[in-house]
Amino acid sequence: MNALPLVERPDGAALFLHPNEKVTKGAFLADAHRLAATLPDAAHLLNLCRHRYAFAVTFAAALLRGQVCLLAGDLSAPMLAALARDYPDCVAVVDDPALATPFPTVLARPDGRPGHGPSALIPADRTVAIVFTSGSTGVPSPHHKSWGALVARSRAAAERFGLGEGSVTSIVATVPPGHMYGFEVTVLLPLHAACASWCGQAFFPGDVGAALAATPAPRILVTTPLQLRALHGVAASGLSACISATAPLDPALAAEAEARWGAPMLEIFGATECGSIASRRTVEGEAWLPYPGVTLQREEEAILACGPGATPVPLADELEMLEDGRFRLLGRRADMVKLGGRRASLAGLNRILTGLDGVRDGLFVVPDDIDRRSTARLLAVVVAPERTASSILADLRDRMDPLFLPRRVIHVDALPRNALGKLPRQAVLELLAQVSEG
Amino acid sequence: MTNQPTTQTVDQTPAEQALAGLIVSSLQLEVAPDAIEPEGRLFGDGLGLDSIDALELALAISRTYGFELRSDDERNGRIFASLRSLSNHIEAHRTR
Repeated sequence: MNALPLVERPDGAALFLHPNEKVTKGAFLADAHRLAATLPDAAHLLNLCRHRYAFAVTFAAALLRGQVCLLAGDLSAPMLAALARDYPDCVAVVDDPALATPFPTVLARPDGRPGHGPSALIPADRTVAIVFTSGSTGVPSPHHKSWGALVARSRAAAERFGLGEGSVTSIVATVPPGHMYGFEVTVLLPLHAACASWCGQAFFPGDVGAALAATPAPRILVTTPLQLRALHGVAASGLSACISATAPLDPALAAEAEARWGAPMLEIFGATECGSIASRRTVEGEAWLPYPGVTLQREEEAILACGPGATPVPLADELEMLEDGRFRLLGRRADMVKLGGRRASLAGLNRILTGLDGVRDGLFVVPDDIDRRSTARLLAVVVAPERTASSILADLRDRMDPLFLPRRVIHVDALPRNALGKLPRQAVLELLAQVSEG
Repeated sequence: MTNQPTTQTVDQTPAEQALAGLIVSSLQLEVAPDAIEPEGRLFGDGLGLDSIDALELALAISRTYGFELRSDDERNGRIFASLRSLSNHIEAHRTR
């Protein structure tokens, strides 16, 4: 069987960057072997590490032990309940001893001290990670990732972004390691491409400025449209590119960032199901260029995306294929809402809402500008005369990813359902306009 | 028709009052500034803020008080724990 190395970088190459030291390939692998030796036997490992380096070491340790790494995305009650039900044999690895989990838990505190752990060959067809999205039933749905597909995507990204050995690019990211985008670009990429991922703080603009100053050039800043808006005051010299993903970037914001930092503003298109599959330079136009080896085919209603080494998966977005092999995004299917890089099914959220005691009818409403305005959140409209807004909110908090909690719960006498029982968005918006005036 | 949160004036210091106003206006919250409990939790099940709010709030704080918030593993949880802790941190670091 075809097998691919865990790490494919020169000996002594830097893979991760700590504030005052770089972690070499040998040191990273030594940490991974040390952690692997302490892991209990289990088929699945829930990686709950918050620090990028501990997260990466935990992933590598699971690879060495032949365990499948679960990436939960959020730790809401329904997510933990679904994991406990579907993966009863799971062990959890945390780097924060205060984090409580329903699983046997191992504490990971890798320090990146100099060492010389050997690499390993991992079968390409082995499922090494399972990533979750919230499904239309309100229950998380799993997406299996094979090692071959993950490595092929890292190699494709390395080719697209010019990360060949010669100079090692520092990657400073504002996105967490356990989200598909952050996992690919900041955890997987350094294992197979000439880059080193910053593992210190990089959340607030002040952190990002300090991180860029502390890392060797050339540098790539990895962020999201909402975070990019907050980074306009950051002085960043020696940037070779800034990469954004999770939502389409406003071209004006992209042009502004290019002028400010003197570097191309690039976007990655991807989804949890298929990972990163295309990129574009925002100021050059709206068309996306698929990664090398990625094919897109229309099959009935959906577009199937197939990366090298991966099985084809239907995309949640509507695309228009262009003649030159590029594509245009036509928008998300109506059921999907995306916020802070996480995605939820509105049908699933509505099912949770209408399943609450005393809620006779209800739905979540997504503001039109949710991709562009950082203060935009969902709101909920309910027919629930006996329930207060705060008690509904408290019930929802136990049942869904808190990021999608409604910031307002609005009571109405009835929802404007048509003869088919459907709720036209226009009718809902008119109702909301009346409510806000009233 | 809407259920407004019950407004109750709580004991905020002048600095906390100003910060509460900034939090409500910058995050466009549907709560009266003087209803934010000084010792209540801002994130999670308190005021219900999330990490996107934290970034927006950091921007508003740097514009208003003239200093940059930084992540710090040990202390960050404590700084953002409540209106009072955040206000104390700001008063100790503000440049305007």
